[in-house]
Amino acid sequence: MRRGLSTRLLGISGKVLVGLILAFIVLPALVVTLAAFNDRAILSFPPAKYSTRWFTRALTYRDFQTGLWNSLVVTAWASTIALVVGTGFAIALKRYAFRFKAGLEGVLLSPLIVPHFTIGLGLLVLATGIGAARGFAVVVLTHVIVVLPFVIRSVYISLQNIDERLELAAASLGARPGRVLGTITLPLLAPGLVSGWLFAAILSFNEFTASLFVTGQATQTLPVAMYGYVREFADPTLAAVSVIYIAVTALALTVANTFLGLGKVLNVEQGR
Amino acid sequence: MLSKAVDLSPPASLPGAAVTDRPTPAVRLDGVVKRFGTVTALEETWLRVEQGEFLTLLGPSGCGKTTLLNLMAGFLEADAGEIFIGDDLVTATPPYEREIGIVFQNYALFPHMSVAKNVGYGLRMRGLPKREIAERVAQALALVKLTGFADRSPRQLSGGQQQRVALARALVIRPKVLLLDEPFSALDKNLRGAMQVELKEIQRRLGVTTVFVTHDQGEALSMSDRIVVMSAGRVRQVGTPDQVYRHPQDRFVAGFIGDVNRLPGRLESRAGERATVAIGDLRREVEAEALRDCAAGAAVDVFVRPDHLGVRPMGEAGTLPAQVAALVYQGSHIDLHADLHPDLAGSGRVVVRMPGHGALATYAPGTPVGLLVPQGGLVAFPPEP
Amino acid sequence: MTPAIRRRPFLPLFVTPAVLVAVAIVAAMAAILRYSLHAYVPGSLDVGGLTLENFSDLGRPIVLRALRDTVLICFETALITLIVGYPVAYALVRTRSLFLKSVILVTAVTPLFLGEVVRTYAWTVVLGNSGFVNATLRQLGLIERPIQLMFTELGVIIALVHVTLPVMVIMLAAALAHIDRDYERAAQSLGAGPVRAFLTVTLPLSLPGVVAGFTTAFAWTFSAFATPQVIGGGKVGVVSTLVYQLGLSSFNFPVAASLSLAGLVLALGTMWLVRRAARPLEALGGH
Repeated sequence: MRRGLSTRLLGISGKVLVGLILAFIVLPALVVTLAAFNDRAILSFPPAKYSTRWFTRALTYRDFQTGLWNSLVVTAWASTIALVVGTGFAIALKRYAFRFKAGLEGVLLSPLIVPHFTIGLGLLVLATGIGAARGFAVVVLTHVIVVLPFVIRSVYISLQNIDERLELAAASLGARPGRVLGTITLPLLAPGLVSGWLFAAILSFNEFTASLFVTGQATQTLPVAMYGYVREFADPTLAAVSVIYIAVTALALTVANTFLGLGKVLNVEQGR
Repeated sequence: MLSKAVDLSPPASLPGAAVTDRPTPAVRLDGVVKRFGTVTALEETWLRVEQGEFLTLLGPSGCGKTTLLNLMAGFLEADAGEIFIGDDLVTATPPYEREIGIVFQNYALFPHMSVAKNVGYGLRMRGLPKREIAERVAQALALVKLTGFADRSPRQLSGGQQQRVALARALVIRPKVLLLDEPFSALDKNLRGAMQVELKEIQRRLGVTTVFVTHDQGEALSMSDRIVVMSAGRVRQVGTPDQVYRHPQDRFVAGFIGDVNRLPGRLESRAGERATVAIGDLRREVEAEALRDCAAGAAVDVFVRPDHLGVRPMGEAGTLPAQVAALVYQGSHIDLHADLHPDLAGSGRVVVRMPGHGALATYAPGTPVGLLVPQGGLVAFPPEP
Repeated sequence: MTPAIRRRPFLPLFVTPAVLVAVAIVAAMAAILRYSLHAYVPGSLDVGGLTLENFSDLGRPIVLRALRDTVLICFETALITLIVGYPVAYALVRTRSLFLKSVILVTAVTPLFLGEVVRTYAWTVVLGNSGFVNATLRQLGLIERPIQLMFTELGVIIALVHVTLPVMVIMLAAALAHIDRDYERAAQSLGAGPVRAFLTVTLPLSLPGVVAGFTTAFAWTFSAFATPQVIGGGKVGVVSTLVYQLGLSSFNFPVAASLSLAGLVLALGTMWLVRRAARPLEALGGH
């Protein structure tokens, strides 16, 4: 009886604690949403009057418009290239033995550990050296490098869930390697490819630190434009942009989740 | 005599020599070797699979049987030796050009294709016209009694049905050889028996050469024309089920095929093809071939099946002294476990299979008994090194 | 002769693009190394002769302080994140309700995909003098003057904990998910209460995840730029902001490069030390 009570108390306090931590996680998003609809220019709580004028300003602000367009272009290219590169490499990583495999894997996954400002600075000086500084090509390359580890991981995990015997069976039935790839491996991999592409796109669309180094006035992405804005102005325009950002990201995540469980990608499902 | 009846290629003097007075085998392995790093998964192996034959590769896991199957399928490349399918040298031929059908343990049905698409896959790869594909798929599905299931997804099928689809998919391409990789191990026991009978029936009707991999000796004995017993990457014996069951050629085969007891014995004398061994005070004759390296007086292990032993009162002639340890009810029979008298050097526990249930009332644990050892049906091998 | 079996079809096709990207990464790092070893020519992006002077520049007090503060902030952030993240990870893995599980997962993970700028800006709205925290406290009558949170190390650490929490939760949950629940049940059947069972069984078994999460949180914090720059407002100097100032404000690539390298070495070295120090602990976990 006593144990039952103390166990229950423990359970309740545990739940309260987890609830509080989750509240801490969502707090900034809630607060910023509130601020975005605040009519006054100075941040204050709670808002005295609500309006959507900051959204109007955000959508008509030139730097944000070009930034958004640049971001869309860079994200589309970078996530697509990363998907192609990452898929090929993940397949090679999972299925083949080849020379320098571990070294190549180490280099490609290093952006998970190497600070993004180091990567950004390195690519900036590299691009400066070859006279390509601040061009779109370098920005796209930077984003490919930064999101590639996530694509490799996503595709690799999907590959793990494909029974290799399916490919062997296809080969025994007369399918050449190209047909096996086209009729068995890639179709079964499709959910992993879609989610891998989506994760890459989300990360690329949000990438900031490395972009700050490699973008110029003409090529600056939306996060860089936002950073420039926050350094100059203090009005809630940025809150409005943030709300749009949060909404789009949450939407994309939900889509990704339906294609391939987030839990699976993040490897947090309880094993049975 | 028994070693002459079975086919243990090669003649050591003539490796790879073609045997001209026999028809071309469906599959021939000439001195095939497979290593993984420093581990030899398959030692030099010579094997013929005859046309239309049902050949079983039998052995415990890790014995090399699956490696052998993968080499035939072309999923692995041999480190030495040659593989022939029919008249064609296929050692370096990729799987997609070998014309083999394979059924995997988990069936490996393509989850993103319907039953008909699965079965028709190999025909599409061969670029056959749609009409012909549809016809042959229908025939194959009829063969495995799955007409009407064409548009189902593999996920909607039971284990037995999935296996039939896998079989149809492998057979529809009219393979030169059908390879079966432990196809029954995922089925529950009742279904397994029925599927074994059905598979054997289909195989006999089509006359397709079949290589069957299993670790289940019961399966091997009941289905095969010939059995290849393997262990530790080596072929131990090739023979009909009866040959490997009644005339095992080495102690591994004797111990692996069927339940068996080991009695401690000593080689007394040898005369031609027969040898006499002593087990306690008993004298019994065995085949001399396996004991050719033993000197008179050397310790040997004598193998006897549980159903060949009998139980008599203690001290009766032709028996070994023992004490009942336990009785295990098995339904149709009783297994009587007995400890041999400690005076018998190297004695251990022995199982006697007794039909009916009478033993339950007669022999309580602790009862001293005499174990009746038959005159025939014994085999002896040198003890393990 | 039939063609040999190709065991690795399309290998060049699969690997070549990856090799190109890897070459770019290596070239970028090599460029940093090259710049760090050449003299700075003021007003020019070109560099002078070979020199080690850039590294001796790192001995200046402002740089040393930044290096020290960076390591301290990263360490504190990683530690707090670990303590805060563990209960969430535990709840995520052990909650039986699928609905709660996905609520926790989505809540904990969504910030991972939100850019640093959005999150940092959001925290300025929370922490500012007329921001959410101060406004709330004032309305509750708890304070009269706003508490200074912006431009302080505390504010930076709060925001950084928020930044690294998702990845910590993910890594801890991954470790916890692979611990068979029966261990805990066995401990409880042997008379250990839930707390004892957790402390003696689950926690030791999850130590590899703890170490992985800690080092990853450390690396992420080290990499953070917008948060210390905006919330620290120049009052909290860390390596990333200093590299930015040197590289993009004064175009002193050589010193920026050498500082980047020093930071990288420092980060990798600290992470290596943490892993080393944790090795005996992990051995306790028995994995």
